[in-house]
Amino acid sequence: MSDSVKTSDYDAERKEMNAEAQEAVDKASAYEFGWSSDIEQDFAPKGLNEDTVRFISDKKGEPEWMLDWRLKAFRMWEKMESPDWAKLEIPMIDYQDAYYYAEPKPKEKLGSLDEVDPEILRIYEKLGIPIEEQKVLAGVEGARKVAVDAVFDSVSVATTFRKELEDAGVIFRSISEAIKEYPDLVKKYLGKVVPMHDNYFATLNCAVFSDGTFVYIPKGVKCPMELSTYFRINAENTGQFERTLIVAEAGSYVSYLEGCTAPMRDENQLHAAVVELVAMDDAEIKYSTVQNWYPGDENGKGGIYNFVTKRGLCQGKNSKISWTQVETGSAVTWKYPSCVLNGEGSVGEFYSVALTNNYQQADTGTKMIHNGKNTRSTIISKGISAGHSDNTYRGLVRVGPNAENVRNFTQCDSLLLGDQSGAHTVPYIEVKNPTATIEHEATTSKISDDQMFYAQQRGLDAEAAVSLIVNGFAKEVLKELPMEFAVEAQKLLAISLEGSVG
Amino acid sequence: MTISTGVTYRLKNFELKRNQMLKIENLHATVGDTEILKGLSLEINAGEIHAIMGPNGAGKSTLAYALGGRPGYDVTAGSVTFTPLPLAGGAGGGQTSDEAPPLTPPASGRGTDLLALDPHERAAAGIFLGFQYPVEIPGVSNLQFLRESLNAQRLARGEEALSGAEFIKLAKEKAALLKMDMDMLKRAVNVGFSGGEKKRNEMVQMGILNPKLAILDETDSGLDIDALRTVGSGINAIMRKPDKAVLLITHYQRLLDEVKPDFVHVLAAGRIVKTGGPELALQLEEEGYEAIAEAA
Amino acid sequence: MNAPLPTRRDESWRYADLKALEPVWAKLTGPEQITVPAGETVSRQIAELPVIDGVGMIDLDVTIGDKATFILHVLAHNADYGRIQVRATLGNGSHFELGGAILGAGKQTLEIVTETIHAEPNATSNQVVRSVLADTATGSFLGRINVARHAQKTDAAQSVKSMLLDRGATANAKPELEIFADDVKCAHGATVGELDKQALFYMASRGIDPVTAKKLMLQAFIADAFVSVDDDAVRDAIEGKALEVLEGLS
Repeated sequence: MSDSVKTSDYDAERKEMNAEAQEAVDKASAYEFGWSSDIEQDFAPKGLNEDTVRFISDKKGEPEWMLDWRLKAFRMWEKMESPDWAKLEIPMIDYQDAYYYAEPKPKEKLGSLDEVDPEILRIYEKLGIPIEEQKVLAGVEGARKVAVDAVFDSVSVATTFRKELEDAGVIFRSISEAIKEYPDLVKKYLGKVVPMHDNYFATLNCAVFSDGTFVYIPKGVKCPMELSTYFRINAENTGQFERTLIVAEAGSYVSYLEGCTAPMRDENQLHAAVVELVAMDDAEIKYSTVQNWYPGDENGKGGIYNFVTKRGLCQGKNSKISWTQVETGSAVTWKYPSCVLNGEGSVGEFYSVALTNNYQQADTGTKMIHNGKNTRSTIISKGISAGHSDNTYRGLVRVGPNAENVRNFTQCDSLLLGDQSGAHTVPYIEVKNPTATIEHEATTSKISDDQMFYAQQRGLDAEAAVSLIVNGFAKEVLKELPMEFAVEAQKLLAISLEGSVG
Repeated sequence: MTISTGVTYRLKNFELKRNQMLKIENLHATVGDTEILKGLSLEINAGEIHAIMGPNGAGKSTLAYALGGRPGYDVTAGSVTFTPLPLAGGAGGGQTSDEAPPLTPPASGRGTDLLALDPHERAAAGIFLGFQYPVEIPGVSNLQFLRESLNAQRLARGEEALSGAEFIKLAKEKAALLKMDMDMLKRAVNVGFSGGEKKRNEMVQMGILNPKLAILDETDSGLDIDALRTVGSGINAIMRKPDKAVLLITHYQRLLDEVKPDFVHVLAAGRIVKTGGPELALQLEEEGYEAIAEAA
Repeated sequence: MNAPLPTRRDESWRYADLKALEPVWAKLTGPEQITVPAGETVSRQIAELPVIDGVGMIDLDVTIGDKATFILHVLAHNADYGRIQVRATLGNGSHFELGGAILGAGKQTLEIVTETIHAEPNATSNQVVRSVLADTATGSFLGRINVARHAQKTDAAQSVKSMLLDRGATANAKPELEIFADDVKCAHGATVGELDKQALFYMASRGIDPVTAKKLMLQAFIADAFVSVDDDAVRDAIEGKALEVLEGLS
């Protein structure tokens, strides 16, 4: 009896939360996730120096080796220069004018979502995250299980389904925990795919990364559920630097999803993440992202600077790494999820939809580095530019001299909405083996008047027609996403296009 | 047979009352700087099927586009009043009027100024345009396209949206009517369809959207003889109802063998120059447009 | 050349042989300016590069007037480091046609670098580049198409295909689009690959020996670059030269 009372209370509360969320959404209008939450935060002192690095490491209770690693990276970073080759106009970033660590209080270890600060739970409600999660908790039959790691500013606040995953032998931890609990595994792989000196933002991440996710799938294990992480930047003036490491041992499989949101703020905020994937013989990692960081307002004020280094290493024979991304957020996106195909017969895939509106800038693409024999890669990129935005695909397909029988197929399509935006395609093809077959195609188009009239004649208004046609344009990529994400992504595309139909 | 029942209704309707559905008066329309329609007038009553025939460049497609509200087809003068007949008990969606419905005559002055509406509003009002060249929309499946379209129309009319299951049932029914494989409906709109398949797909769409007035622009072109028969009986089954009307735009007699028109009009140089019964189409086929147009 | 020596950071020189270039840099002259008056057609064929100390460089800066046409056919083969660099700025309704072949062997580094600027509406451009590379030669095509904001109705196409004959040879391609207008047709295709095995087999089944079959296929491959030469005699000359060079490669 008390249970049912609880449920209805819960329902009522949920309704209320939804109403509140709706209100927040209405207020934010264009950006659905533009609210911030009043949670007590514990900050590192503003600015970036060795003490900041020590502070973070200390807060995390990290072992000495980790601190040394961070300090080495910091000293390296100080001598490096910000890259300028992307087609992005970014004002000078003052790295001293930001917080590098913020954690919500209180921060006891959390065993389950129930123990999470209710305020944080409300945030998840607003984010629409735990719908699947809650279905499972409420015992809804047939609901697909999704384990969630939620990173709130700098701290992982909840990792769920730990027990069930552990039974399967899967390690799913925040990276901070993993450093303490599985130091050997972390040491073995951290910085092995994306070396510390890889690039300016990756090096910065090595020095100040605050949290993130560690996943280890043992030999022969098919991960029993989708794993996912939701990242959220909440505090003002705070950068987020998460680090994700996924290792799939021989014959294993994992599908991993990440979602990102941030509140509306007038100033720009920095996000510099590093994601490393390792796939051994016959292992497969499917990595999906829906990136919806705050893009700034319609005049280009505010928004997240999103500098992300993502790279997967197909080390084993017949291993496979597949990246799928839907990028609709961020003022600036600088991101090239890549595959290094070392293992014979390994496969790399990159499916991307990048939508820019207003004054957003995206420079995104991939690198497929073919070192092994019989390696294959597929690149499907769909860029949609609206408003005054610029959208660039930048990609590299490289075939080494010893990589026999390599196959690559690349399709880059750009769709321009309106005549104030830009669509750019910058592919690099570098081939050193005569047995390679490389195909690259690129097209640029707009929505034809014929298509618009046809859809309108069937009863759709202009906005619905554009949204439908854009979703069709992106279909090849969206179908690569897990079901729930695909639906979410479609809605997101529609929301992000609002105001672009004149 | 479906066809014969349809005919019975039409006759019944004739005896009942003539309810004017579309009234085009002195329509002038330009494309770019060229005036194509030069004072076209036409009246269509509920329950009637009209055929418009005429030589290339006479303005047949322009008439269809002007009525559909296609951008670039500018109406410079004239008026179009659309007065669809409401069915007692609601209209649209999956409703079929196989049972002879009680007819409610429109109240006077209830007609809509069609030209004031946006294309999607005209669609919601009950106008369906069968395109001569149906447009490809990559990545959007027919089913998704039609469900969104139908529900947008229903919501615009204050009706409830159809659920997924209701919609699929309706789509299956209409696809079967046109002998179209459901797998075709799962494919992207018109992408990779042959000419004939595109035309058949238009008719399936018409069946699902269930309009009051269908303007079919050269629906017969690109169809082989079997497909023509299927499409013809589809049009009869879907549109030959006391509350519906059809404007068939065609070059040839052969579609009219399948869908018997009540009236045949000859369009030449932007105007209707001659109107007659089904026999006029046969005469045109024999004597050619020129002779008829000149004689008129 | 007064300008400073380029570096690798300079995108359009990323595959260049800068070592070979350095000693002759000062001896090179700046770009040759070509202006095609409105409504007129100018054709140019370059079958040999002018070579100084192993470096051959052609540098053209072409302004194509309204409704004018510039047709360029080039053959890059006779230099240790050879570079054909073209910058074409298109007027309203104009057309730029490029057909190019890169035929490299030994340690040659050969490249064709184009920048096609659609500055005005209604212009069209078409670029076809074919490379055949043997030994440890490097052949590169860098082609940037730039469509200005108001250059509506632009139609720009690029087709880049490369064939490697030996392990150690390198093909690079960077077909780049920079587009600021929405009502345009811009497409590029790039492939690197082997000769079509099915076609080779088909020919073998008709009694053609493998060496001849390969030769025929390569000839057809290269001929694509010269299809757009109007004058038969002119085409025979440049294509003939290309086939002669090709003979030496395969």
